[in-house]
Amino acid sequence: MPHEIDAVLLEDALFSLDELAHSCHVSREWVIERVQWGLLLNDGATGTDPDIWLFDSRSFMRVKRIIMIERDFEGNPELAGLVADLIEEIDSLRARLKASGLDAD
Amino acid sequence: MEFKDYYKTLDVSRDATAEEIKKSFRRLARKYHPDVSKETDAESKMKEVNEAYAVLSDPEKRAAYDQLGQGGFQPGSDFQPPPGWDSGFEFSGRGFDGAQAADFSDFFAQLFGGKMGAGARHAHHRMRGEDHHAKIMLELEDSYHGATRSLTLRMPKLDNQGRTVLAEHTLNVRIPKGVHAGQVIRLAGQGGPGHAGAAAGDLFLEVHFNPHNRYRIENKDVYATLPIAPWEAALGASVKIPVPDGVVEVRVPENSQSGRKLRLKGRGIPAATPGDLYLVLEVVLPPAATEKAREFYQTMAQELAFNPRQNLGV
Repeated sequence: MPHEIDAVLLEDALFSLDELAHSCHVSREWVIERVQWGLLLNDGATGTDPDIWLFDSRSFMRVKRIIMIERDFEGNPELAGLVADLIEEIDSLRARLKASGLDAD
Repeated sequence: MEFKDYYKTLDVSRDATAEEIKKSFRRLARKYHPDVSKETDAESKMKEVNEAYAVLSDPEKRAAYDQLGQGGFQPGSDFQPPPGWDSGFEFSGRGFDGAQAADFSDFFAQLFGGKMGAGARHAHHRMRGEDHHAKIMLELEDSYHGATRSLTLRMPKLDNQGRTVLAEHTLNVRIPKGVHAGQVIRLAGQGGPGHAGAAAGDLFLEVHFNPHNRYRIENKDVYATLPIAPWEAALGASVKIPVPDGVVEVRVPENSQSGRKLRLKGRGIPAATPGDLYLVLEVVLPPAATEKAREFYQTMAQELAFNPRQNLGV
C-alpha cells in the first residue's frame, strides 16, 4: 500500500530565485537576466537584490513556458516573453468566457 | 517493448539533414504546443516529438540509433536491443535533461538510459535530486473539502547495473482544501533521487479542474446560475440554493433582471484569501401552457403597458 503524502499548496510568493532556477533546470543568471529585461516579475523588481525576489505559481508556469519557447524554436527571450503574454491573455479570456457560461470551444 | 521509428515521428526521411530535422521539429512543436494546440492528444504527441528530436538532433545518438535500425526492426514490433548494440558510442547527454527524460518512453530509457542525464553526469558530487513537474486534474468539490488522489508517475531510476530505467511509482496525495486553478502543489522529496546522499528533488503538480455541470470557476471565484420566477425578480424574494459547501438562502433584490450578479463574499474557493461565489440571476418564465396562465399574461400585457424595446427607438 503506498503511503499518503501531504501536499503543500504554493500560495503567493513562495519560490526563491535559487529554488525557481533549480526546479526549472535553468541557471540563476538565466532568471536574473529575464527579470532585468522585464519578462518576469514586475518592473519594481529590477534594481533590487535578487536574493529577496519571490516567485509565485504564476511566475513558475510562465518560466516553464518561456523555457519551452526559447528551446523549441530557438526563440529570443523577448519573443518568448511576448508569446507567453499572449498565451496568458488567452487563458484569462477563456476563463472569463467560461465563467460567463460561454464555452471557449 | 515497441521499436519506435523516430524518423516517422518527425516526418522526415532517413537521410534528412540536421537542418531538415530541426525544421520539421519546429513545425511539429508549433502544431502540438500544449497551450495552443486544438489537437486532442497534443500533449502526448509533443512528448513523442521531443523524444524523437532528442535522439535525431544529437549526432552520436542518431548514429547509434541508425545502426540499430539496420537490424531490420519494424515500428511497433517487439524489441530488445541486441547485446553490445551501442559499443563504440559515447553519449554526452546533450539536448535534454533528467526531468524531460521522465516523459520519454521505455524504448528511449532502454537505449540511452545508462548513459544519460544528470544522474550519470553528477554521480560523484553531492547534489540535490531533480525536481519533476506534472499536471493534476481535480473536481471543484476537492477545493472545498480537500481530497486524496492516487497518482501514478513514471520516474527514471537506477537499476542494479547502474542503468537508468523508468519505474512506475504510485503516490497517495492528500490535497488540502483551498486549492485553485493555476496553482502549483509541491510534494517535498517526491522528485528525482539525490546524488551521493543529498536530498531528493520535489514533485510539482500544476492544478487544473475538470469542467463542472453547475459551477464555473475563474481563479478563486466561483459562478453559478440562480434561476428565479418573474415575481421573485420583480418583487424581491428569499430563495434557497445549493452551493458547493451546503445550502444557502439568499435575498434577491426587487426589480432584478436576468444577468444580475449576487455576490456571496468569501464563499468561493476557500484559499488563504478566499474567493467569492457569484450567483447569476436567470429569470425563467412559466410556460403559457394553460388557459389560466394565458389569461395572466394577457392581463399583464394590458395592465403594464411595458415595451422592452423602448430604447431601440421603435
